[in-house]
Amino acid sequence: MEPLDLDLDHGEIELAAEPMLINVGPSHPAMHGTVRIVMELSGETIERCDVQVGYLHRGFEKMCERGTWTQVFPYVDRCNYVSPMLNNVGFALACEKMLGIEVPERCQWYRMILGELARIADHLTCDGAMVMELGAFTPFLWMVKTREMIWDVLEEETGARLTHSFGRVGGMAAPPTPGFKEHTRAVVDHVRRVLDEVKRLLLGNRIFLDRLEGVGVISPEDAVSLGWTGPALRGAGVAYDVRKASPYLKYGEVEFDVPVGTASDCFDRFMVRMEEMEQSSRIIDQCLERMADEGPINVDDPRVVLPPKDEVYSTIEGTIRHFKIVMEGLKLPAGEVYSYTEGGNGELGFYLVSDGSGTPWRVRIRPPCFFVTGGLERIITGQMVADVVPCFGSLNMIGGECDR
Amino acid sequence: MPTFKLDGREIPFEKGDSIIQAARRAGVDIPHYCWHPGLSVAANCRMCLVEMLPPPGRKPLLLDVLEWDAEKEDYVPAKKPKLVPACQQAAGEGMEVASDSSEHVARARAAVQELLLLNHPVDCPICDQAGECRLQDYWLEHQGTKKRMKDEIVHKPKGVVFGPTIVYDAERCIVCTRCVRFCEEVVKDPVLEKRERGNLSEITLAPGRELDHGYTLMTEYVCPVGALTARDFRFKARVWFLRSAQTVCTGCATGCNAFTDFDPRDQTVYRYRPRENMAVNRYWMCDDGMLDYRRIHENRVLEARVRGKKTSFEDALEKARGILAAAPAEQLGVVLSAQHSNEDNFAILRLCRDYLGTGHIYVSGRAQGLGDPVLKHADRNPNTAGVTALCTSTPPKTFSELAKDIHEGRITHVLSLGSYSSDAEKTDALTRLQGLVTLATHEGPLAKHATVVLPTSSWAECDGTFVNAKGMAQESEKAVAPRGHSEPAWRLAGHLARALGFPMAWTKLSQVRKAMAPEAGASVAMISGAEA
Repeated sequence: MEPLDLDLDHGEIELAAEPMLINVGPSHPAMHGTVRIVMELSGETIERCDVQVGYLHRGFEKMCERGTWTQVFPYVDRCNYVSPMLNNVGFALACEKMLGIEVPERCQWYRMILGELARIADHLTCDGAMVMELGAFTPFLWMVKTREMIWDVLEEETGARLTHSFGRVGGMAAPPTPGFKEHTRAVVDHVRRVLDEVKRLLLGNRIFLDRLEGVGVISPEDAVSLGWTGPALRGAGVAYDVRKASPYLKYGEVEFDVPVGTASDCFDRFMVRMEEMEQSSRIIDQCLERMADEGPINVDDPRVVLPPKDEVYSTIEGTIRHFKIVMEGLKLPAGEVYSYTEGGNGELGFYLVSDGSGTPWRVRIRPPCFFVTGGLERIITGQMVADVVPCFGSLNMIGGECDR
Repeated sequence: MPTFKLDGREIPFEKGDSIIQAARRAGVDIPHYCWHPGLSVAANCRMCLVEMLPPPGRKPLLLDVLEWDAEKEDYVPAKKPKLVPACQQAAGEGMEVASDSSEHVARARAAVQELLLLNHPVDCPICDQAGECRLQDYWLEHQGTKKRMKDEIVHKPKGVVFGPTIVYDAERCIVCTRCVRFCEEVVKDPVLEKRERGNLSEITLAPGRELDHGYTLMTEYVCPVGALTARDFRFKARVWFLRSAQTVCTGCATGCNAFTDFDPRDQTVYRYRPRENMAVNRYWMCDDGMLDYRRIHENRVLEARVRGKKTSFEDALEKARGILAAAPAEQLGVVLSAQHSNEDNFAILRLCRDYLGTGHIYVSGRAQGLGDPVLKHADRNPNTAGVTALCTSTPPKTFSELAKDIHEGRITHVLSLGSYSSDAEKTDALTRLQGLVTLATHEGPLAKHATVVLPTSSWAECDGTFVNAKGMAQESEKAVAPRGHSEPAWRLAGHLARALGFPMAWTKLSQVRKAMAPEAGASVAMISGAEA
């Protein structure tokens, strides 16, 4: 291309000797959600950088302190909005741990299926967006189309595609629909087909591999010390998965493997997610097999679960029960609890403090993204500007969860 | 002090205490309906049943009963200990009592609760008691089961008007007889009685009578369920939206401790509830006091006025400043208010006596009423004693004396706190004044004849201290935000003083209290509103 200033000859342009400061975000197409990265560039190499989070802070934890425990569910939906069902179940489990109750078996299987579907949707979104940002649009469309199918199942079950608010302390808002198993099986089959196609399309692609392999490397020790969990940590070769390390629901009774990476680069993180989707499909198959078609979904505990409507309208006992749970909120015993599950991006923890009333005293969430994003600076320093995109994509920062 | 053990915890008691009484004092609540600390023991609800453990080395007293065995589908013989009502059983040294820790007690409570709900209508959505109802609380805490009875419930009269203040719903009634005992024992007017037996029993009025004594609202207050409701409060507010401030009733000089229940969303006061204070009102309040909350909203002065026309606050203040600056000190009278708190009166007194230099101090308030032997005082003002104590050197003169002084030309200008005149016949004298500045909460003679009226907050809108007839200074909390453009009188006094060029720089109530302490503390023992 012709130089812009025609008066100048080639070679006479003096490049500035000091590093260039460049600011990406908080509102930028490559910054999922809102995050800001200030980079100090020497040529195309990132000399130093500063990752600034918090642009999506909504005070979610404080908001929880004014409603009832049940009214927290819509808030956790909006933490990791790519896999809200996992948050719903995680929060319900935390409350149930405090109450010392366990939901019926059928509900446990149901929660696992819905949760694993959400995990697949989460990973499809992350991997799909990652390859799309590297220029491969087709896999993105295939994967997002598959995500839509998963959302169809979730919509059928919960009534909402994205923010389900479907979890309840002591059970779920509704039992599985009659066509649930058939529908889910069909979708899981499709997921497997799409994963195969995507792999065929990408894994032999030199450009794709070169953009990922050896990029954004972190040592397993660093990853652990940063508090990384989930696919990002497993990509670094540490096989920590809450579902295996401290099984909840029925995860102790199903067979699945924990995929780990070896090179702890962007490619490994990508592949761990791809493999985890296979494993989730495996889990769903087993759950569908073992979930009973009949049986209660909610615990039989009047302190916790709303009575059937006909009882509310016709008996005083039902009315009182409904009144107490709706107007005062179900009461968690005074005390504190930390409960953790495997979310889409790693260990999703809820630390709850109750004063025995119907309103949370404190709800603290341990968002996996926050810790993972904390390592972004380390893995992009020394890389090229263009590598920020796959590095950031492979960490799957979700603003709602990270900034809370 | 002797003690007994309740669920393994040592509970001290005094001679004559029942188990429930001693436990209550120690902060342990044994569930109950019919027992009330201020009433006699009826022991008819059976909710407070507890298990008495036998003395060491003795066998427990067991009853032969039949118990349903779900496996055999038949009743089988079983044994259970005899339970006793904690409200009736006197506490004894070394006794061991099991309440929450006894399985038999838990079953008895569940059974009693189920029985009480057996014929209860599905009324929570339309019942004023919902949210503060014992039936609801105890269902959750002690029963937690569904209805087993398939039959239609027994129907009884609903919405029976008992009198000008109370409506009775026999279906909701658990016939604990608290209201019956209250009328008989506290008011000494046995106007309520129980009739019929079993599930047909209900509360009824004595023949030819209405529930119309001076304490009818207390029957609603002692009712643990929604059977008695106050006509004043019915369907006005849902209790879970209300917040409470700890206040003192300003209806008379008794100074009953109250909760002022208000809705923080619209800053409206909906009711008073008695607050226990054994040294003042015990557990009770009179009807006039209970309904006195209406004065917070009714007949209020909410805007500044000059010669009867509404003006801005600044114009009114400037006008008031002019009147006070022009008034000769020896012809300026100041009227304190027995309706206002010590703080308000002190601020006005400081302005007039110490800065403006007047020696003519009067006190006014609501006119005398009728007292009764239970609680009601004939002086319908909450702070007469406080105002008297504030005027240390010379006691304040009455409104009648003020009228006389005006007629005789000794007083030409007046600064008044409050607009009530304690002598309605002599208010004409006010028309002869050359200048009258009134800090008024309510409309009244002193506001009507005033040259300048400045709107003043009521007792519910600011913190304050009131001294009752026994000389007890009690603090009353702010409940709602000042209505209209009103401000606390002590603050208005500060505005006036600064406009007149005096260094009265109070901006916080604590500063007023600090300045007041030596004067008020000299004759008044400070007792906070809580239990004395």
